[in-house]
Amino acid sequence: MAHQIMARRPDSAPLPVRPSLLNGRMVWLLLLFLAIAWSLAQANVVGRDLVNPGGYTLLLRFLQASIRPDLSQEFLLLTLNAALITLGYAVCGVALSTLLGLIGGVLMSEVWWKALRASGGGRGNHYAPWLTIRGLFAIPRAIHEIIWGLFFVNILGLTPLTAILAIAIPFGAITAKVFSEILDETSRRPLEALLHSGASPAKAMLYGLFPLAFPNLLSYTFYRLECSIRSSTMLGLIGAGGLGFELLLSLQSLRYAQMWTLLYALFLLNGATDYWSGLLRRRLGSVGQVEFHGLHPAKPMRPPRAQGAVVRGSLFVAILLLIFSLWYVRPNPGQLLASQTMERLAVVAANSLPPDFGGRGPDLLRLSLQTLAMSILTMTFASLTGVVLSFLAARNFLAPGGILLSGDAAWGWRLMGGGVLILTHATLLIARSIPPPIWALVLLFVLFPGLIPAALALGLYTMGILGRLMAEAVENLDERPLRALRAQGAPGPHVFLYAALPGTLPDYVAYTLYRWEVTIRETVVVGIVGAGGLGRLLTEQLSNFDYRGVMATLVCYLALTFLVDLLSAAARRSLR
Amino acid sequence: MKEEAISVRGASAGESIPADTPPIFELVNVSHRFGNMVALRHVSLRIASGERVALVGPSGAGKSTLLNLLNGSLHPSEGIVRALGLNLAQLSPKRLRQVQRQIGFVYQQFHLVNHLRVVHNVNAGALGRWSFLKAAWSLVWPQEVERAAQALAQVGIPEKLYARTDQLSGGQQQRVALARVLVQDPVAILADEPISNLDPERGREIMDLLFRLSEEMGKTLVVSLHAIEYAYTHCHRIIGLREGSVLFDAPPADVTPAMVTALYRIEKE
Repeated sequence: MAHQIMARRPDSAPLPVRPSLLNGRMVWLLLLFLAIAWSLAQANVVGRDLVNPGGYTLLLRFLQASIRPDLSQEFLLLTLNAALITLGYAVCGVALSTLLGLIGGVLMSEVWWKALRASGGGRGNHYAPWLTIRGLFAIPRAIHEIIWGLFFVNILGLTPLTAILAIAIPFGAITAKVFSEILDETSRRPLEALLHSGASPAKAMLYGLFPLAFPNLLSYTFYRLECSIRSSTMLGLIGAGGLGFELLLSLQSLRYAQMWTLLYALFLLNGATDYWSGLLRRRLGSVGQVEFHGLHPAKPMRPPRAQGAVVRGSLFVAILLLIFSLWYVRPNPGQLLASQTMERLAVVAANSLPPDFGGRGPDLLRLSLQTLAMSILTMTFASLTGVVLSFLAARNFLAPGGILLSGDAAWGWRLMGGGVLILTHATLLIARSIPPPIWALVLLFVLFPGLIPAALALGLYTMGILGRLMAEAVENLDERPLRALRAQGAPGPHVFLYAALPGTLPDYVAYTLYRWEVTIRETVVVGIVGAGGLGRLLTEQLSNFDYRGVMATLVCYLALTFLVDLLSAAARRSLR
Repeated sequence: MKEEAISVRGASAGESIPADTPPIFELVNVSHRFGNMVALRHVSLRIASGERVALVGPSGAGKSTLLNLLNGSLHPSEGIVRALGLNLAQLSPKRLRQVQRQIGFVYQQFHLVNHLRVVHNVNAGALGRWSFLKAAWSLVWPQEVERAAQALAQVGIPEKLYARTDQLSGGQQQRVALARVLVQDPVAILADEPISNLDPERGREIMDLLFRLSEEMGKTLVVSLHAIEYAYTHCHRIIGLREGSVLFDAPPADVTPAMVTALYRIEKE
């Protein structure tokens, strides 16, 4: 046997043909470079001043204020109140969106319609209602919270209900989609056993499917709470109150000391929520997979682990938090049924149809392309910086005991590794805590208005979110090949290149493409501070009550969103 | 580094080897603990250049720990581990890497990078010699392809040079791991249950290959095994480990069925 193996001499067979460099990946890479070049051209970066040197003193004054925030009792109380309002909107919004998500998730899941069909003796067409419901949920998902907020302001006024609904509706639609995917991926055997023994579909799902899916559903709900705090802050910028609102007021009146008090509160609120959610997700065993369900069909769902003090305690605290939030922000659901609301809704509906593209066709096209370019520049910046920071932020790399820093390294190196870890985590937290419009306004101290500051503002924010999720991906990396290469004496940088990078790159690409779908929706939020694109036009039209124009702009937004979704899905499929 | 000779206990080990050959590996009264769990207790042995040694014993006997001590992946809680005459615990990280380049390792679960083509996994064996730029460029335009192809031909899968590693079968992946060691060209190969994840037929092929490569190229081989029959047919020496201690250390001819039974005996409370 051994002789047979050795009999194949190396020189007897020609080398296999070297595969061409021009494969599917290369085509996508080429397209990427072209897209970035086109976006830079859209942003007019050539032959134009980008930096405004006159703004440095202003920026310096703003930064200097960071070491002496306004700590007067009066302002601290105001900050506390603002933070609780932001928290309250976020918690109520997530609670309502989870409710919507549960109902929608069941209705959107394949398993529910299959169960219905099975209990109906296999008759009936379940495909048509399933597709209809999926389609219905796609539209609220495609519209950003800020647009929902601007819409509800016109109907309900600046009330707590506006902020809560603005969060709950798009979040509910996203949650429904993800919940349906979780339900569909959960093992169906217990459910089928109950159905075969004659239980009704609803009862069978309650006993046979939900207990199994519960840890993943809970993980996702807590991930949404992180997102909700950020959205709730942004809604403040359109006047809904809370930290975002106060931040904008302080910035516009140039009270930097006050601004820093509010920013520190924001970091604290975001940091605490992210830590809580991250801890819970680690306990539930679904780190790094939560937002990106369906991207890894090869990885089986981890077995549910919903026990433990952290999980029970978190549930208890979450319920207390919801009761407190309802009491603190006091939303008035009766408003929805008030006759005034109905009248305004009727007026808006009558005034908004049909969409008025009017003479603005070419204008809308130009702004749509600008928006697309902004999203591409945003993602380029966010994913490049996010990749670098994620490795520095991952607990298993530079941190003491990590792959690149063995446990017996000198204490100076270990101290440095720990320092880098803390510093990167702080950078990522700050980047994602500050709403993009505030980033934009700060950047406009030193940059001339245009696509670049807008993309940079969104990019910093996105970097904060992406960097954290990518760090979780690095922490989930299969470390065995790394240890193998280290054990044969390969230097650290080589190990990184041959084991760490190839192991994480597919996740990076998938996360970046997924986040691009979110970012194209998010371009609207920098529009509200006048940074260009469709968002700016939309804000103008809303403040002029030009509802038919608004509808036309929304149609453009939807078209862009679906285009990006299609491109992202196609790229992910071919790169898998 | 101290390099003077150390008197060695367990001298029965050296029967077939001349006493004056400098050992490639040497353990002096080594114990290792993971927390409260003692993995190895007071083990002393020396392995000479060109020897083929089988480590046998039940799960948890300390076989993996011993192998990881030999290439400096672990440092002992007590005692001294020398490889190529150097005390591994006292080396600077850079010197340790230089020693590790001379020691190849084959794993039970292959430890390959799934997303890369086979050629890169094989070339990974050369990373200790390559500059960073060469390593980076090779990921775009594979370097030293002929050498990688030759190594793959030696392990019997020359046609898989550009295949994606995760699309290979388990047996083929272990062959890729062997080709990686061939490209590394070490003086000694450590193998930690290299066939436990393979079916019997694939396992036999890999073991034949491993022993043949070490024989043809004169490389020292230390392999831990579940199946003791390969130790009889292919090794100069069998070391029986049980609960962290060396139960016997003898040439295959001297290992009796009674000794093997005692090695795998189940303690009755």
